[in-house]
Amino acid sequence: MTKLSALLLAGAAAATLSAAPAMAQQKAPLQILRVIDADRYDPIRSTATAAAEVLYMLADTLVTVDFDMKTIKPGLAESWTISPDGKTYSFKIRKDVKFCDGRPMTIDDVVYSLKRWVDPANKSPVSFRGGQVQDIRADGDSTLIYELKEPYSDLIFQMALSFASIVDKNAVESLGANFGVQGFNGTGPYCWVKWTPRQELVLKKNPHYTWGPPIYKDPKPQVDDIVWKIIPEPNTLMAAIQAKQADVTYYTPYIALDTMQKIPGFTVQRQENYIYDVFMGFRVDKPVASDKAIRQAANMATNKEAISKAIFFGKGQTLPSLLNPSVLDYDKSSADKMPKYDPAGAAKLLDEAGWKPGADGIREKDGQKATFTVYGIRNADNPRISEAMQADLRKVGIDMKIQLWDATVAWGKLATQEFDAFLMSYPYVTATEALGLYFPSRQIPTPNRMNWKDPKTDDLIRQAATATDDATRKQAIGAVQNQLTEANVWVPLVTQPLWVVATDRVEGARAHGLYGAGLYKGLDIKLKR
Amino acid sequence: MSSVTDQIEKSTGAAEIAAVVAASAPRRKSALRMLLSDAGACIALALVVLAILGAVFAPWLAPTDPYGNDLANTLKPPGDGAFLGTDGQGRDMITRLLFGLRTTLMMGFASVSFGCLIGGVIGFAAAYYPSISGILMRLMDVLLSFPAILFGLAIAAIFGPGLTAVIIALSIATVPLMARVVRGSALVVLQQGYIEAARSLGLSDLRIILRYVLPNCLSAMFVFVTLRFGQVILLGAALSFLGLGAQPPTAELGAMAADGRNFLFFAPHVSVLPSLVIFAVVLAFNVLGDALRDALDPKLRK
Repeated sequence: MTKLSALLLAGAAAATLSAAPAMAQQKAPLQILRVIDADRYDPIRSTATAAAEVLYMLADTLVTVDFDMKTIKPGLAESWTISPDGKTYSFKIRKDVKFCDGRPMTIDDVVYSLKRWVDPANKSPVSFRGGQVQDIRADGDSTLIYELKEPYSDLIFQMALSFASIVDKNAVESLGANFGVQGFNGTGPYCWVKWTPRQELVLKKNPHYTWGPPIYKDPKPQVDDIVWKIIPEPNTLMAAIQAKQADVTYYTPYIALDTMQKIPGFTVQRQENYIYDVFMGFRVDKPVASDKAIRQAANMATNKEAISKAIFFGKGQTLPSLLNPSVLDYDKSSADKMPKYDPAGAAKLLDEAGWKPGADGIREKDGQKATFTVYGIRNADNPRISEAMQADLRKVGIDMKIQLWDATVAWGKLATQEFDAFLMSYPYVTATEALGLYFPSRQIPTPNRMNWKDPKTDDLIRQAATATDDATRKQAIGAVQNQLTEANVWVPLVTQPLWVVATDRVEGARAHGLYGAGLYKGLDIKLKR
Repeated sequence: MSSVTDQIEKSTGAAEIAAVVAASAPRRKSALRMLLSDAGACIALALVVLAILGAVFAPWLAPTDPYGNDLANTLKPPGDGAFLGTDGQGRDMITRLLFGLRTTLMMGFASVSFGCLIGGVIGFAAAYYPSISGILMRLMDVLLSFPAILFGLAIAAIFGPGLTAVIIALSIATVPLMARVVRGSALVVLQQGYIEAARSLGLSDLRIILRYVLPNCLSAMFVFVTLRFGQVILLGAALSFLGLGAQPPTAELGAMAADGRNFLFFAPHVSVLPSLVIFAVVLAFNVLGDALRDALDPKLRK
C-alpha cells in the first residue's frame, strides 16, 4: 500500500511538473500555497484567517507577538507605558517608517487607523477588540495616547492582531469600499501589487522597510516578490508542493506530513505554540443539552485522544481543558476538573441521571430522547471529527445528529436558535480574549451560541478584562475556566497543529501562526535560487 | 397517424419520439425471450438483481456495525484485516458499501417513483385534455430548464441538506421527462379505434385512461423508468458528493466517494470502491434499459 501511495504521489507530482515551466532558472517569486481566499483585505472588515495571513505582510501593528505566542514585542511602537489605572496607554512610535508608496508614516496615520478600527460608525465586526475607547490622540509627533473608559487587560494583545494594522489614510479615502480589494498601502515588509480573487495575490518587497520586529534576525525583507496562490483542493495542493511548483505552504493535508518528512528536498516544521482550537459547544437552554449529565457524559464518552490521532493522523494534540495550554493565563487546575475518557463512567452517569436506554439503544428520560443536533461548517476536518464523536456518543446511548453547512450559509445558520450544539474552530491569543468572546451574556446569540447566561461568569470575565495587574487577571480568568469546565459547556477536542512545509529553495521560513497566519511577517525568508 | 406524429414532434425530442413510438406498441410474449437472448442484458439484469438483493439484505449480510467507529484502525488497505479495507472512521468497507448501496438505491427508487407518478398524471392529463395541454407542457418546459443540481442546492438551502432534499430535487427533475414520455405515448394510443369505441360507450375519462390508455403506454414508461433509474442514481450520488445528500453517519455511495477524496493518494480504496459500485449499477441500469427498449420495439423484433 505504501508503494501504491508513493506511485500515486509520484504520478501526481510528475503530472504537475510537466505542466509547470522550468521555474528555477531565475529567482522566481516566493510562491505560497493556501486553500482559500479572503473576501477582502481591509484590516477592519475581514475576520478571515485568509485575510490576516496576508495583512501581516502588507501592514504593521504597533506591537508584535513572539513565536512563543505569549511575549509582546515592539512593532511600529518602540516602547509603551500603561497608566496605573490601566486606562491610558502611551505608545512611542518609530519615526523611520514609510508606506509602500514612499510617504513617511506620521502619528496622524496611526491615530486615523486605530480610530477607524474602533469607530462604531465603521461597523467593523472586530471593533469590540479595541475595548471601550474614550479617545485616541497624538501627543506631539511621535506619541500615541490610547485612552480607555475602563481598563482592558487584553488591549496590548489585540493591538498585535491584523485588525489594528496601520494603513494609509489617503489610500483608504481614495479607494473607499475598494480599499483592500483594488489596492492597499501599508507599512508592511511587502507591498500590494495585484489581486485576482480566488486565484492569487501578488506582493513585492517594500524597498524602504527596515523596521521589522525584533523577533526576526533580519529586520529587512529578503524576497523580492511573493505570490499567494489558491489551490482549493488539498490533494492538488499537496501534489503542487511536491512538484515544487510552489515553495511553501502550511495547508498540507495532515495525512501527507509523514510522507513529506521522508522526501528529500523538503523541510517540515511544526509550531508548538500554535493556537487554533476545535471544540463542540452545547446550547445550555435546549431540552437535552441543558442537562449537565448529558454534557458531562459527552465529554466522558468522546475519545478525544483517538480523534486527534485518527483525524489529524497523529499530528493533533488533545485539549486537556477548555483552552490551549500554550495560551496566556491558561489555568492548569481546570484540566483536573475536565472529565477523563470513560465510556463506562458516562453510561453510569446517564443511568443515575435517569436517562434509561430505549428499545433502539438511545436513552430516554421523561419521554424525551437523548438526541441533539450539532451544526458546523463543512470544512476538511469537521465531517470526520463530528462523525467520530457521533459514533462515540452512540456507544453510550446518545444520538448526535450532524448537520454541516457550506461555508457560504454556515455562519447564518450558526446565528439561529435551531441547533443544540455546534462545532467550531478558532484562533485566539489570550484566555481572556477567548472566554470574553464566547461567554459574556451580552454576546448572546452570537458568538455566545451556548446561550450561557451567568452573572458570575459575566462578573469574572469583566474582572479579568478590566484587571490592571497580571495576578488579578490570571486569577479571574482562571476561575472562569474552572467554572465552565465544571459546567461541561464545551467538549474541547483538539488543537489544530500548524505545520509549515517548504522546499529546499527556501531558507529561514519559520512557523509563527498568530491568528492562523503561518508565516506572520515573512521576514528572514530567503530564496536560495 | 402522421398528423399525430407531427403533433408529438413539436413537443418532444426526436430521440424520445423514437423510443415512445417504438415501445408504445403492445408488448408481445417474445419480448422477454428477446431480452434474455441478449448476453449483455442478462449480465446487466443479474447485476441489478444482485444490487437489489445486496441492498435489501444489507443488515444481514454486513459483517460489522455500519455506524460504529474504530479509530485505531482507520484507512486500512484492502486485505489488511478487512477484505476491502476500512474507511476514515475505521469502518469495514464491505459493510459501508452494502449500506451505501441500500441508501443510494432507496433514494433512486423514491425519486423515480414520486417523479414518475406526478409526471405520469400530468402526461396523461395533457394528452387527454388538449385544452390544458399547452399550459401543462410549457410548465414542464420551465422545469426542464433547471438542472437537477440547482434544484438540489435550492432545496438543501431551504430544508437543510439531507436525503429528503435530494429525493425532492430528483423527483422534480424527473417529473417533466416522464410527463413528456407519457404524453407522447398516450397521444398515439388516443388515436386508436378502441378509444373511440370506449368513448362512444360513454365510459368515464378516468376509466378510459386507466383501462385502455395506461396499459398501452406501460412499455414506454417501463423503458423510461429503467433508464431514468440509472441517471437518478448518478445525480443523487453527485448531490451527496457535494454534501447536499445523506448526512453522517448514513452510508451513501456518493457521500462515501466524497469522504475518501481527502485521502485519495494514501488510501484510494475509500473513494474508488464506492465509485466503482456507482459505475457498475448505473451501467447495469442503462444496459438493461436499452435492451428493454430494443425488446419492446416491434420493428427491431422483426
